Amino acid sequence: MAGELALEDIQGVILRGYTMPLQRHFLLGVTEATGARRLLARLTSGEADTPQIVSAAPWAAKPDSLLNIGITFEGLKALGLPEEFLESFPAEFIRGAGDLANAPALGYTGESDPAQWKAGLAWKEGKPAPAHLLLFLYAQDEAARDAATSQLTQLFAESGVNVLSIFDGAELRDHRVHFGYIDGIAQPRIEGDPLMRSEDNQPLSPPGAFLLGYASQYPHFMYPVPAPAEIWKNGSFAAYGILEQDTAGFEAYLTQAAAEHKCSKEWLAAKICGRWRNGIPISLSPDTDKPDPPLPFEEWNRFDFVRTAEHQDVFDDSRGVRCPIGSHIRRNNPRGGRVAGNGGHLHRLMRRGIPYGPEFDPASPHDGRERGLLGMFICVSLKDQFEFLMIEWVNKDAFGLLGDRDPLVGANEIGTRRFRIPMPDGKSPMLLQNLPRFMTTRGAAYCFLPSLTGLRYLAALSE
Amino acid sequence: MDATTPQPLPVQPVQNALNLICIIKSPEAQQHLETLLTQHALDNAKILNAVGTVHFARFVFLENNTKLALFTEYDGSLDTYVMDFVKAASPLFNMLLQHVADPPPLPVESKPQEFLDWVKKHDLPSVVPLYSAYPTLTVQDIVSNLMPNAGATASESVSQSG
Repeated sequence: MAGELALEDIQGVILRGYTMPLQRHFLLGVTEATGARRLLARLTSGEADTPQIVSAAPWAAKPDSLLNIGITFEGLKALGLPEEFLESFPAEFIRGAGDLANAPALGYTGESDPAQWKAGLAWKEGKPAPAHLLLFLYAQDEAARDAATSQLTQLFAESGVNVLSIFDGAELRDHRVHFGYIDGIAQPRIEGDPLMRSEDNQPLSPPGAFLLGYASQYPHFMYPVPAPAEIWKNGSFAAYGILEQDTAGFEAYLTQAAAEHKCSKEWLAAKICGRWRNGIPISLSPDTDKPDPPLPFEEWNRFDFVRTAEHQDVFDDSRGVRCPIGSHIRRNNPRGGRVAGNGGHLHRLMRRGIPYGPEFDPASPHDGRERGLLGMFICVSLKDQFEFLMIEWVNKDAFGLLGDRDPLVGANEIGTRRFRIPMPDGKSPMLLQNLPRFMTTRGAAYCFLPSLTGLRYLAALSE
Repeated sequence: MDATTPQPLPVQPVQNALNLICIIKSPEAQQHLETLLTQHALDNAKILNAVGTVHFARFVFLENNTKLALFTEYDGSLDTYVMDFVKAASPLFNMLLQHVADPPPLPVESKPQEFLDWVKKHDLPSVVPLYSAYPTLTVQDIVSNLMPNAGATASESVSQSG
């Protein structure tokens, strides 16, 4: 498969994390199709002094800023994609992120109700949100971000779009998220990607798990490419989310639970996540976040929870005495571990995210400021990957945990607010109870990430 | 309330029932099916162990060996798990379905949605909802609680789950 990925046609964000410290997300509504198509044309023209949507092709030099773009189903309609082509898109993408019938299963309940989502993303009276285009600006510094913003603002004014919302994200120190963990350590490694990360003891993902038009993670099966197939090949889908994190609540819970169970707060934080907050996996270092000898970064993702045919020299953690079966990283990526359906390697997501909001100060925990994560979860099938993971692994129990949900990001409610920490040497598990809901969805959208070919096709549509 | 008053049914179980009935192509095909099911019983058990959502499963020949029935109780929904189930169980179904009169497109893994539609079409509904002695327990709950101290705390027990 090496060399078969059309890197120059695939939008860069699908395969690349960029590691730029600043992001600005523009949510745009199409008010006039011809003008909006002209915007797409300018963003893919290659012209100087116009921010450009970038591909996954290797850079000669890292740019100061770059763009990628997602389009909702309503956006494809607004751009004028013919009805017969619209109908060929996957049902869940057509339905949209905030569809009322599916919202409860996805955890969009209470304060996460789609009707309460932020401007541009909210579903009022059950109707699809007005966001059509999600333009993602990545920047090396504020000067680059602001310069690109100025250029884009001018472009928007000349195009048939209006700006519904702008969301800013910025890296925190040490690449941590507001909950205090270093994030983004584990990502799928795609077969044929020349820039894939180091070995992680997991099977390579076939390109078709993340890109339309390639063999998928299911043998003899390729996900159907919407029509026209030759245009949409190399595209993908993403679930965009604005995820508020109750950092003060999390810290308070850890403090209270540590006192109750007479253990270390950081040990509890590690058990809940599956990694120490400095990124060290508890599967490889169950007792300390400072293993001796130190664990090099390239090894932080090189583990499994059980022995497999390929890796026999692994501690068999079937019982979860090192990494609890219900911990956040284990239930979102079971690897070789036991899970209903046995699909531990089949529902992976390429995760992109950046914190938003001011850094949490423990000295002023209740500052009234909103903070969280701007996330993008990329996959070829929103149904079989993002929705499956959120419904079956995060907000339900597929692991034999008697109904427990993800302790960190699950829509925990009375009756499900538990987390079991198995203990070694035959001791009874430690049971954390009354877990509050630490994460609230403040907005979400399903986007199509067209290839550069697809974007130029849309730009060239006529009435 | 007297003895003739219908009693409320127990809580809706997490398990679901499948009553899959298909017509066998010919007497020769029935012989092949019987041989295959017998020879591959252990392999098929390993497949179902790996899937981890099937509580019970049994194949039964009906109506003078002209029909093959699969009766199974499983967790979750067919729709949710169709992709994972097809991946795991396609060897079993590809082996068997070539001997039925109206099979789905084969191999099943090439067209999982069509396989799912075929299963639903051949699924006979139960007269009344499935009875379960443990309506809240999944296969994963039961298996994990067979491990010493893996699931329940000292004050919990499987019977208190849910």
